[in-house]
Amino acid sequence: MTTTARTGGRDLAEDVERLDAAVAGGDVDGALTLVDDLLDEGLDPLDVVEVIATVQKRVGERWQNAEWSVAQEHAATAVATSALESVRRISRGVVPERGRIVIACAEHEWHALPAMLVSAALRSRGWHVTLLGASTPTARLNRYLQDLGPDITAVSCSVASGLPHSRAFIEASTTAGIPVLAGGAAFGPDPRRATALGATAWAPDARAAVEVVEKLPLVVRAAAPLPPEVTVEHSSLISGHRSLVATIAEAWAPYRDAGTEDQELLRDIVDQAVHAVGGALLTGDERLLSETSTWVLTVLAAREHAASAWSELGSLLRGALRDYPVASGLLKQHWSPETPAPA
Amino acid sequence: MVTWPLPHPREGGCSVVDAIVPRAGLEPPALDAAAPTAWSGSSADLARILDAELSGSLNTRRTVLRVLDLAASRLADWAMVVAAEPKGPSLHVYGGADPTFHATTRRADTWSLLRQVMEGSRHELVHVDLSVDPHAALHGLVPHPDLREQVAGLRPADILASPLTARGSVVGALVLVRQAGGGFDPQDVELVGELCTRAALALDSARVYEEHARVTRVLEESLRPPALPRIAGLDVAACFRSAAAHLAIGGDFYDVHGSDDDWLVVLGDVCGKGVEAAVLNGRARQSIRTAARFDRSPASILTTLNDVLYEDDSDRFVTVVCARVRPSGDGSGSFRVDAAVAGHPAPLVVHTDGSVEQPDITGRLAGALPNSDGYDEVTLTLVPGDALVLFSDGIHEARGERGLYGLDRLRTLLGRYAGTGAGTIVEAVERDVVEHLDGNGHDDMTALVIAPHRRSS
Repeated sequence: MTTTARTGGRDLAEDVERLDAAVAGGDVDGALTLVDDLLDEGLDPLDVVEVIATVQKRVGERWQNAEWSVAQEHAATAVATSALESVRRISRGVVPERGRIVIACAEHEWHALPAMLVSAALRSRGWHVTLLGASTPTARLNRYLQDLGPDITAVSCSVASGLPHSRAFIEASTTAGIPVLAGGAAFGPDPRRATALGATAWAPDARAAVEVVEKLPLVVRAAAPLPPEVTVEHSSLISGHRSLVATIAEAWAPYRDAGTEDQELLRDIVDQAVHAVGGALLTGDERLLSETSTWVLTVLAAREHAASAWSELGSLLRGALRDYPVASGLLKQHWSPETPAPA
Repeated sequence: MVTWPLPHPREGGCSVVDAIVPRAGLEPPALDAAAPTAWSGSSADLARILDAELSGSLNTRRTVLRVLDLAASRLADWAMVVAAEPKGPSLHVYGGADPTFHATTRRADTWSLLRQVMEGSRHELVHVDLSVDPHAALHGLVPHPDLREQVAGLRPADILASPLTARGSVVGALVLVRQAGGGFDPQDVELVGELCTRAALALDSARVYEEHARVTRVLEESLRPPALPRIAGLDVAACFRSAAAHLAIGGDFYDVHGSDDDWLVVLGDVCGKGVEAAVLNGRARQSIRTAARFDRSPASILTTLNDVLYEDDSDRFVTVVCARVRPSGDGSGSFRVDAAVAGHPAPLVVHTDGSVEQPDITGRLAGALPNSDGYDEVTLTLVPGDALVLFSDGIHEARGERGLYGLDRLRTLLGRYAGTGAGTIVEAVERDVVEHLDGNGHDDMTALVIAPHRRSS
């Protein structure tokens, strides 16, 4: 989280706590009133966006730590979405004369809120923003790029499974000469993955996005093709994805022993792990694998699975992916008996 | 017509204009800056830009930006694109120092030389004497005062104006300016010709695309699902994914209309997909709205719809679920729902405890047969925390690698999201079905959920 100057040097921590309490209590009216009050007090919309983003991060963590069900997480997100509506309302007074930005989540990216946050932030700074929403098919993005001819495309991606489609967005956009800003948790802590996928720029959060868009070029070259040794292995990984996930899940003790509902979560974990291998391969950033393995460990531990479940999954992944040379190498280094379970 | 590459400009075929005859005794002014730019147009990657990237956009503005970027970075100190609709009365002028600059001017007001370039479809190379005021030479080529100022400020030495010709029509012109010492040699002119050929095609394609896109947008505006109203005490949310990913319309439709305490919620599916289906669904939606003005009972509305569509010549038919929703009026926050279906799956009711039921109603699809015995209606009560889920067959018949999505899976999913609110349920359904498809094609998919507000705790 950035700590650049806020309105009047105000510390947002208290606002975060108050909104968090409202969101956690499912108090829609309370959350809306609070956000309206902050805006009425003259707090910069960017600060309000940061408050909502911080609360939303906690919502995700509560699911991760098994404190909340998926349905609770969704309901809390719906509260945050409504709160964001107030920021959008106040931006109606700002003339959108900065240029046009199309924001979308790649296919398989269902977390629409980060894109909404960035969109509200940019709108408050006078950009004309067109938000295409969760899991946007590339054909739909293309239609908007041709019809609107925007100045910038922004792609939001928070799960590894969305990275290949983010690359498709980057190709679609840069082919039309339009610069691409990439952001979201799956792009990691620095520009490395965004650069590897051919994005023009990267931003860690809404505040940074607002600064970065000012500096983007008007026209960019089409993103260079990815190296063939990467694309060949990656496309075979994608076509084998479903059966790989099934094979690994069915061999994994926690999955075999689980009831139907838990099985769904455990299958998702395997799915994310295989996608992380693919994402690391595609971006050449092996940290995606260690980030995911840490995440898996947290999710499993919170649901009272033994640490052995984590190492068993690692060895199943290595076994199932042994015919994929680059992927196996990455797994050996980042998810094997020699690499200790992340603390 | 002139074919590319052009003949050597100084060897006939094309005119070379020494715009201002040098006057003896005047020394040329000192040149700005250091050595003239070394133009390296013909580098290897230029071929790639010309062949692949210039046609990468179907948007006029983006194509113009690309042409200007290319011209100003590789070929000249200053560039301007003029775009004209074939035989249209106006010209669009883009670029100059600010690539986003855009102005419109009348073709009739345009000065002779530029018109000569466009109408004669041949390029003009103008050499400007640096010792005198270049405005006179510029007048004929740069149809905007601000842009003329910019060029004059550059102390231009050479101006190359080339026609943009595509598919048998002149679609505009490209004007390039090089400062003294640059000059356009025959290879340069040939290269500019290559650029112009492709730029003209790209601009013309963009123009044609934009005309078609405008038609599509107008159609979409009138046929797309309308915005959902805000209803006191009731959450409403819907999602629609067209079978044609790039379109916002299809064979599915939904509508919510009414007022205060009497609402009609409709979801339907026209046989077929794409634009043809969308046209019929617009008619069905309108017929339902009209019928509802006279009798708000869902069974009567469906009877009227059936009559209207049957009497129509078309051999198409429609499936619809229609629900009339009214507050129970007992202060409990509950709603009474009267529902009828025409060849459509009955909606699902999701209770707070996670149980899901499907009322037992059926009815013939609308528009296929003359009416004999009307439609059945069923009455339900939605209490706060309950939700009513209307959906099209694109949902339960979504086919992924693991087979059909199926009603059972839909019911299981809904049970898990019981009590989470209309927006959350719609999102969950959309996500689960799209992930089930896993990239496979699909029919139009629509879900609409209504849920009485839960009391804030």
